[in-house]
Amino acid sequence: MTGAGPDEPREEPTALADGGTVARPGLGDVGPLRDWAAAALPLALAVFLGVLPLVVLLYESVAAPGRLVSLEAYRRALDPLNLRIMARSFAVATVVTVVCLAVAYPVTYWLANRCRRRLRLPLLLVLVTPLWLNYVVLEYTWVWVLAREGVLNALAGALGLIGAPLELYPTRLSLLAGFVYLYLPYVVLTMYVSMERLDYRMVEAARDLGASDWRVFRDVVGPQTVAGAAAGALIVYARIAGGFLTPAVLGPVTDQMLAQVIVRAYRTNLDYGFAAALAFVFLAVVALLLAVGARSPQVREELKRW
Amino acid sequence: MSPTTPRRLLVRAGRRLPVAVLAVTLVFLYVPVVSIAYFSVAPTAQPSVPIEGVSLRWYAAVLSDERFLRGLRSSFLVGGVVALLGTALGTLGAYTLVRSRLPRWLRGLVGLVIALPLFVPTVVVALGIGLFAGRVDLGFGYPTVVLGHLAWVLPFSTFLLTARYAELDDRLVEAARDLGASDREVTRTVTLPLLAPALVASALFCFTLSFNEFLITFMLAGGEVTTMPLQIFSKVRRGATSFLNAASVLILLVSAVLAVTASLLRRPTT
Repeated sequence: MTGAGPDEPREEPTALADGGTVARPGLGDVGPLRDWAAAALPLALAVFLGVLPLVVLLYESVAAPGRLVSLEAYRRALDPLNLRIMARSFAVATVVTVVCLAVAYPVTYWLANRCRRRLRLPLLLVLVTPLWLNYVVLEYTWVWVLAREGVLNALAGALGLIGAPLELYPTRLSLLAGFVYLYLPYVVLTMYVSMERLDYRMVEAARDLGASDWRVFRDVVGPQTVAGAAAGALIVYARIAGGFLTPAVLGPVTDQMLAQVIVRAYRTNLDYGFAAALAFVFLAVVALLLAVGARSPQVREELKRW
Repeated sequence: MSPTTPRRLLVRAGRRLPVAVLAVTLVFLYVPVVSIAYFSVAPTAQPSVPIEGVSLRWYAAVLSDERFLRGLRSSFLVGGVVALLGTALGTLGAYTLVRSRLPRWLRGLVGLVIALPLFVPTVVVALGIGLFAGRVDLGFGYPTVVLGHLAWVLPFSTFLLTARYAELDDRLVEAARDLGASDREVTRTVTLPLLAPALVASALFCFTLSFNEFLITFMLAGGEVTTMPLQIFSKVRRGATSFLNAASVLILLVSAVLAVTASLLRRPTT
């Protein structure tokens, strides 16, 4: 067999070296040339749209008229107000991630191990379908659930649970609901993959030996799925901390988040240096988190599935 | 009654917990969508529960609204171009990662650079592309929006096609070569037909990602481009209305149809 998988080591394309693995009479030296041509376009685009913008970002953040390097934008980006906004963004991301994990754990555990086989795929599809729907519209639908005249207040009022309508939107609660709504499906999908590989016989063995539910979770289920949980958390954490739409639509006006400040600086105030500096600080924190997370080989494996 | 009964009850409740959480989750996921559909058929502009009757007038209003239709056209235009280019580039990317005979480190690097937008927060990617476009005088508008969307969809199309490419049976290619087919004939008669379902799935996937994308468009559109998500967003900030509800339901239907089609096509390949 020739080159069965993407990870199989290949020989260096020194002239005709590959002629040994693939019989290509007369084409031995044309191949690599064609391969270079095929790689050039996507690589150029990815560099053009992924790498160069980061370079420009760094450049804009330190650019100043008449000087080579200025840290003025960073000084403004790191003032107490922005630090508070940054702390709030990461705090929101932490709470949302924890809620997503707390929901995804029992759901995927049941789905992958206890649920009838026939129902598994349909239920999983129903859980992850929101990933495909327009997220602006999805966030907007929450306005109608939580508003004064919304579904929740009407239902609670009709059941006599509340006297006056609750102010649920726009509050921190509606912000939380919106974020969990968007990111729960990602966490469910990641966790499901690792729950599926959980050896359920070990759960049964632990139970037979008299382990309580808590010990089963701590000693059997937890260790086997912690990498999947970490990968799911890493995937959503930075997206939540850097979320713009959810706080803009559902968040309280007083609780600004990082992306809102960046977008306003860029679009409204045309304050490019400040926007770039703030984005770069954010990126540095995210890169640090990813680097810490990716140190574990199991977490890296889980992330690769994406 | 033994004294352990309450404890046993608790344990039994604990066993049921996952099912309960699943049920609550399903309600949580689908109540908003059902609510919006319910409000969208209300006859009044500012409906409340229960709605005062059933009427399709807001759907008629949306479908005859020039601005809404223009937004829909923009979204389809951008989505169509992004689907074609994203899939073409994704195919080349997948070829590079799976089949090409470039050095291993170089292929790894290509994969890493393509995957970059998955790990860099969208707001940072969009800001970088916006500042870059400003520096090279590309400005704002359709080309910049399409480029921004391409950066976002390329990792998805590349990795979707990589999975399919890796499954292709090399022996078929070899057989075609042995029978005297040129590289081009092999591509046209063997590789592409085998990849076809994955190519269609990738195009639909790219289209959906582009159709749903908001932040990148918001940062790069300037005044000239108004895609559907931008329209909705600008109206949400001015208040929730029945018009917006009907528009939302129509958009959810478009993305749901795309999703179902793509997943039906994808199933045989995964």
